[in-house]
Amino acid sequence: MATTPPPLQGPTSKEKKYDRQLRLWGANGQAALEEAHILLINSGSGVVGIETLKNLVLPGAGNFTILDSAIVEEADLGVNFFLASDSLGKSRAEQCCELLKELNPDVDGHFSSEPIETFITKPDALDPYTLILATAPISPEILEIIIAHATETLTPLFYIHSVGFYSHFSVHLPHAFPVVDTHPDPVTISDLRLLNPWPALTQLVQEKTAHLEAMSDDDHGHVPYVLLLLHFLEKWKSAHDDKAPQNYKEKSEFREMVRAGTRTSNPEGGEENSEEAVAAVLKNLNPPELSSNVKEVFNSAECVGASPDSQNFWIIASAISSFHKNNKVLPLPGSVPDMKAKSNDYIALQNVYKTKAREDFAEVLSIVRDIEAALERTNPIDEKEVEAFCKGAAHIKLVRGKGMHIAKPGETIEWLDRAKFAFGSLTNPDSLIHIYIAFLAYDSFGAAHPADGLNGAALAPGTTDFEADTEKMVGMAQQIIDDIIKEAGKTMEDPEYTEVKEQSQKVVTELVRAGGGELHNISAFTGGTVAQEVIKVITKQYVPVDNCCMWDGVSSTISVLRL
Amino acid sequence: MVYGTCGLESLCGPGQHQNQRCSGILGTLLTLSQKQQQQQAENAAGAAGKKKKVTAAQLRVQKDLSELSLGSTMKTDFPNPDDILNFTLTIDPDEGMYKGGSFSFSFAINQNFPHDPPKVKCKEKIYHPNIDLEGNVCLNILREDWKPVLNLNAVIVGLQFLFLEPNASDPLNKEAAEDLKTNREGFKRNVRSAMGGGGVRGETFQRVLK
Amino acid sequence: MDETTVADMANGDGSRIKWKFLDRIVSRQGPFADPDNPIGEQALQMLSSVKVLVIGAGGLGCEILKNLALSGFTDIHVIDMDTIDVSNLNRQFLFRQADVGKHKAEVAARFVESRVRGVKITPYCGKIQDKDEDYYMQFAFVVCGLDSIEARRWINATLVGMVDEENPDSLKPLIDGGTEGFKGQSKVILPTMTSCIECQLDLHAPRAAVPLCTLATIPRQPQHCIEWAHIIAWDEERKDITLDNDDPEHITWLYQKALKRAEDFDIPGVTYSMTQGVVKNIIPAIASTNAIIAASCCNEAFKFATGSNPSLAYPPPDANNYMTYSGDDSIYTYTFTHEKKDDCPVCGNLAKTMEIDPSWTLQEFVESFAERPEAQLKKPSIRSEAKTLYMQSIASLEEQTRPNLAKKLSELVSDGEEIAVSDPALQISFKYKLVFKS
Repeated sequence: MATTPPPLQGPTSKEKKYDRQLRLWGANGQAALEEAHILLINSGSGVVGIETLKNLVLPGAGNFTILDSAIVEEADLGVNFFLASDSLGKSRAEQCCELLKELNPDVDGHFSSEPIETFITKPDALDPYTLILATAPISPEILEIIIAHATETLTPLFYIHSVGFYSHFSVHLPHAFPVVDTHPDPVTISDLRLLNPWPALTQLVQEKTAHLEAMSDDDHGHVPYVLLLLHFLEKWKSAHDDKAPQNYKEKSEFREMVRAGTRTSNPEGGEENSEEAVAAVLKNLNPPELSSNVKEVFNSAECVGASPDSQNFWIIASAISSFHKNNKVLPLPGSVPDMKAKSNDYIALQNVYKTKAREDFAEVLSIVRDIEAALERTNPIDEKEVEAFCKGAAHIKLVRGKGMHIAKPGETIEWLDRAKFAFGSLTNPDSLIHIYIAFLAYDSFGAAHPADGLNGAALAPGTTDFEADTEKMVGMAQQIIDDIIKEAGKTMEDPEYTEVKEQSQKVVTELVRAGGGELHNISAFTGGTVAQEVIKVITKQYVPVDNCCMWDGVSSTISVLRL
Repeated sequence: MVYGTCGLESLCGPGQHQNQRCSGILGTLLTLSQKQQQQQAENAAGAAGKKKKVTAAQLRVQKDLSELSLGSTMKTDFPNPDDILNFTLTIDPDEGMYKGGSFSFSFAINQNFPHDPPKVKCKEKIYHPNIDLEGNVCLNILREDWKPVLNLNAVIVGLQFLFLEPNASDPLNKEAAEDLKTNREGFKRNVRSAMGGGGVRGETFQRVLK
Repeated sequence: MDETTVADMANGDGSRIKWKFLDRIVSRQGPFADPDNPIGEQALQMLSSVKVLVIGAGGLGCEILKNLALSGFTDIHVIDMDTIDVSNLNRQFLFRQADVGKHKAEVAARFVESRVRGVKITPYCGKIQDKDEDYYMQFAFVVCGLDSIEARRWINATLVGMVDEENPDSLKPLIDGGTEGFKGQSKVILPTMTSCIECQLDLHAPRAAVPLCTLATIPRQPQHCIEWAHIIAWDEERKDITLDNDDPEHITWLYQKALKRAEDFDIPGVTYSMTQGVVKNIIPAIASTNAIIAASCCNEAFKFATGSNPSLAYPPPDANNYMTYSGDDSIYTYTFTHEKKDDCPVCGNLAKTMEIDPSWTLQEFVESFAERPEAQLKKPSIRSEAKTLYMQSIASLEEQTRPNLAKKLSELVSDGEEIAVSDPALQISFKYKLVFKS
């Protein structure tokens, strides 16, 4: 009977609690989350913002602050889970804050019941926050101030609507928002560099495949497919002017050459490693082209002209760009997919890749240090950051943050370089641009009907007069559509034009139907999507939405558009 | 359109709810059922409706069993004939190195079949490169290559094949595989000895000769 | 666009002020809603008059209970057999540290009841299989937040089996959600009318496995070492102890075994956390994804209960019934119609009612299948859920069940019991509900 092993340095209580999420974003992501301080500027019926915070408090976003001047009313209790019967008549900010804090003792919650109108006038009012969530309705003037702050301080900002069966959010990111750890599909990530083997790899191929014919069935059936492919590539090249297969036809021929190498005289009548090699031919024999994402990074002004106060990302990107110029390849990530092989052969192969990856990393690091020296930067970039960049270099993504539309009564929305795209979306049945347009009209309506006195809160269309408000809103949406057509420099004829107008009218009617009220399910859904995006932005992992996301709770579909 | 607003004509029958305006699917079903409940209460006294239904896994195993072709070298044993998810399969190879032996495998099928493969273990301690001393069997379709479209017959054919062509290249029992690779005649002798209840390399095996 | 006023609907204190937003939208005719659906009071009445069953009180279940309570449903039941673990607390927001070890269904029910006035939540701490059709018959629909395919298949087969063409109330829509990391899916099933869980089985990829012999002789990855410890080493060395995935001592043992093996083969990367992940087949789970999928499920429930907008799966069979959500790279949803499979073993052949004379022998019954026009079976094998009546194709079973042939049917099955009939000539099995002639 085995003895019980001694207790080990098991997981900490925090690792236990967060186990299911650490498997997604790891300790680095978690640390970033814990350092965040999220401000929620809560307005309207105020549920979508609270539902978003719930999904951020649970995974341990370090700090949150709720700014909300509303007093809890009976109607709040039918839609907001983070209020109780005894919250009635009290500050909504305070009550929600208290009940959210119960979810996670490791999170610090704060609140303020000050109206946004006065809060925002204080200098530095928004400075403590690393990310801002603002829920509609907000007056255009105040939204402008928040956007200006976000732009200036590079603070990510989310502007959110949830009304009836529809919701929308726009993400305002810094002009350059690079992501290194994009979590690409594992199938796509291994770079085996078959067309540019280095001496150590070539040597291993020779060692392990020199006597293929003479090998026992057992050994022959266990040669790692990477080595088989490299072996046959050498053979191919010697018959083809030292060139690898160039096109589909040649690759197919090469594949047949690999297939012909399969030993079938064994008891199994075939070999798994050979099958793996055959299957890998078309995927792995492509010249090392940079993805458009990587090219965009290398060609961007920030990369070409790194400056002393550039973000670390740009210094490393610049170094990797030089590396690429010198070597015609990106640094090797160093991972090798699992394949049919004996343990020691696989480990040997893995070590060759790892060693090369370390050499590439060392080369990149030395370029980084040169750049730092040339720019006279004093804080050297952490080696780990450079290493992580080298590993993920082929899959980096640069999101170009863009400003968001502010709808003001009597002012025309400008679509600029997105006008043609918006025009095309009008007739695309899969696009939810009509929901976006309806929300622009909604904001414009609110700004034109401010104030039943309380905190300058805007009057939502449909609050009392469904029919009259629908008519007004339909007209406003129509105007926006006409402006898009005009700005795109296009025309739209019937029947298309009538169809677009009818679609818009239906969507607007559905929106006005809610009278500005939230449905819990729609806000809970949207709170989930926004929280996912916030996590992606804070951890700088995965790829965030760029830049507008609409949810249609009627047809159960989402559409993400850059507008 | 009045009739069929709920789209459940097949259930409701035409015209039954012409005056019943209902909300959504549920409304239709409920308003209809209210009318019929009384009648059903009367009917329900007769045939009770709470009998257990045949499960999807049972249904599939029943079908697989009715398609099984065992031939003369195999037989099954169901300790409890009412439980078709647990049984023993006995293989008596009539050719190859294991001829003369009799090998039994326990089959344990769970309710998630055929999403999950059957769990199969050899009940005797035998000397075989693809079966370890605990009875674990290395057969691709029992694990990595299992698909719900495969059936019990495929598994049984696979097991039979293991005795005709023991596979030395990816073994569970390394010693047996080593013997098979390096010395086929010696391996044969070892198989005979192990089947007779003898020892091989210090390991004693179970007698499986008929 | 007429607007019906919502009269005071009795609700404890008699006030509907709390439901101001919900009432407003349900009281107005929407442009996408079926114009024949009623608006206002009648639609709202549906919310408070139906009983709803929630299966699972975990990550999705907590969200579903909250959402249904705030959608105006007032009579909710919830089933879950599990107790609360500390690793649930990052997303199962109805539970606190002090609740660890208590039953999920109980704690969740009490919490939502105390937070949302006027809702009644009835917990059952046990397995769905404990309950019979009478129990499931009382609900208007079922919302599932489960992590087990087996449990999903069970409830699906049960609800499909309950459909009685004579009784519209027997059709229980099933709304099902599932998540993994930043991804998830939700779907609505109208049993027998739209694609069911069994039809959709191929959308759930089986867990990737590595050959046993790789584990035994040529491990290459840290996971191979862990699986070896889990599947092979444990049985060799601790056969007499049942492996408990939740026992830290057991996981520690496996971890150390795996670590040692990895060292022997020079394989880096075995960690305690990876050991836990491999052994328990842990699927990453976060609050936000659960929020999305649960809300999508409850939105569908709200739509079809109130008729305020068209729901997934409606009208069958062509409507979209399935939504997938992916948040890894931006956000994508794909909403589509998953088609019902004609040869689905669960919904492809519903049990037909067959009148039989209980005094018949099984022999006579078996022979009758040769003459039945829809079957004409030469070698039928027959089973009920509990009994193998007669199996022809397997010699040992035939022998064991042969004595049944002489027995009267009344000795073998009870009135109303279901049997399955298979035959080598049949693609799928027939099911019959046997009703005794009186």
